Amino acid sequence: MSDTAATLTQDRQKLEMSALSAPAVIFTVGMIAFPVVYTIWLGFQNFSSTGKQSFAGLANYSKLVSDVEFWHGLWVTIALYVLSLVLQLVFGVWLALVLFHAKRLPGIVRSLFISPFMMPPVVAGMMWLVILDPSLGAANYILQSLGLPPSDWLASPTWVIPTVALIDSWQWTPYVALIVLGGLQSLPSSVYEAAQIDGASAFKTFQRITLPLLLPTIVTAAILRSVDLLRFFDIIYITTQGGPGNASNTLNIYGFRVGFEFFNIGYASALMLTLTAIVFGAVLAFNRLRGAVAW
Amino acid sequence: MTDAITTDRWIRRLNLVQLVLAGVIIMAPTVWMVLSSFKPSFEVTAYPPTLIFTPTLDNYVELTKTTPFLSYALNSLIVTVGSTALGLLFGIPAAFAVSWTRISWPAILTLAARMAPGTLFLLPWYVMFRQVGLIGSYTALILSHAVITLPIVIWVLLPSFDGIPRSVFEAAQVDGCSVTRILWRIALPLVASGVAVSAILAFVFSWNYFLFALVLSNGETKTLIAAAFNFIGEGSTQWGALMAAASLIALPPLVLAALVQRWLVSGLTLGAVKG
Repeated sequence: MSDTAATLTQDRQKLEMSALSAPAVIFTVGMIAFPVVYTIWLGFQNFSSTGKQSFAGLANYSKLVSDVEFWHGLWVTIALYVLSLVLQLVFGVWLALVLFHAKRLPGIVRSLFISPFMMPPVVAGMMWLVILDPSLGAANYILQSLGLPPSDWLASPTWVIPTVALIDSWQWTPYVALIVLGGLQSLPSSVYEAAQIDGASAFKTFQRITLPLLLPTIVTAAILRSVDLLRFFDIIYITTQGGPGNASNTLNIYGFRVGFEFFNIGYASALMLTLTAIVFGAVLAFNRLRGAVAW
Repeated sequence: MTDAITTDRWIRRLNLVQLVLAGVIIMAPTVWMVLSSFKPSFEVTAYPPTLIFTPTLDNYVELTKTTPFLSYALNSLIVTVGSTALGLLFGIPAAFAVSWTRISWPAILTLAARMAPGTLFLLPWYVMFRQVGLIGSYTALILSHAVITLPIVIWVLLPSFDGIPRSVFEAAQVDGCSVTRILWRIALPLVASGVAVSAILAFVFSWNYFLFALVLSNGETKTLIAAAFNFIGEGSTQWGALMAAASLIALPPLVLAALVQRWLVSGLTLGAVKG
């Protein structure tokens, strides 16, 4: 084959490759890239109650800075995020260790363990709504049988955030556990043997060897959960719609209501772009952390 | 020596206790939901809650009688199957091209949807779809849900395509096969199980997705998940029907996930962890 013929086939091949990814790229540009640019433009627009549209400059963003509801939403988002993430990482690592030492897990047991996060969050919200009902729910019955005071759970402004964090953690802790379990299974067994020969206790082995080696996997789990937790929507929308009052009004819920209940599309766009920046910021920060703990 | 063996046995017992404890916490709410759905109406709200009762299908009958549950289910099926098919149609060739050329930006681009809050897209979609009169249409719902399915298909299939030895392709190229032909005739049969896993995961996450249908559907095209909100509204005293609805909505994803549970982890982390 001559050189020109070879370049010709290579060019043709490049063209064919571009053609193969073209549908996905065009679709993504049309459904994501272009709409995001459009949202940025919408963020500079003002929509009156009659649907009239006018240029607003930075008005939506200056409104955001002085909007008490925005700062409250940011606080709710961060509180819910930190609480849920800590719960899920701590119990996820615990569950992973338990599963790891159980060695052979029959497929049916694995299926049961993944069932919470394979069901729709909306369904999780529905079932917990019934279980946590303040007057007739099973949760308060269990508390009372143990001699503990009942709680208003989702109906209490004080307890609604921990309660929602608990529901989400019930759903996603097994997911974190499965990721960490994958990390555990890929650890070299030689380091354990060395520790055993040195007579290190089980706790010391975990603290000094397992945990540091596992950190990159844990950070990966943290990234995947952060992305979902900072956009918290489904469970809250089903159970409290941001209530009682505005006690569980996360930024995502607030932005959704501003956009689709009050139809202030311009201000909602500014809110959602801010939330997106927060999500990307968190991912970048964790990514740097992952680089720092890699081995 | 015997001491070490007894300690070992105790550790194993302790581990089993923890495993059972975790299993009970994980399973109890779901079991309670399913049990409640079979309770006669006066027992669902009984306090103290009852565990022993005569099971009945009344709640399911009432659900289908008082709500258009079956037509919602059909809508869910149309949107989910449509968006899964679209995700596979666009995702399979893209994943193949990314794996072959090592040019990864198309795959990363589709991940953007996994990172940003859905409302960010929903606002401009709402404005755009309204202008072309597509609000409430299956088209709008399928397109929006394909944003969920496409990255799942691409990222689940990437490692599968990467796993095919390059010599297989090179041999085919020498024989004069075009790239497209290599994909459909040689590569695709080799990654058939990966395609199945990606299709099931795409189906599950499209089925479970709430936000888009909340705004883009109307009374006729409402999906089960978006309609769940209505069941709660009516059902403050009808817990039985509410739990029947919840059980039925959760059934398809749970059954499908059980089929592919072995391959789930690597698929769900979008390749971040090798499971």
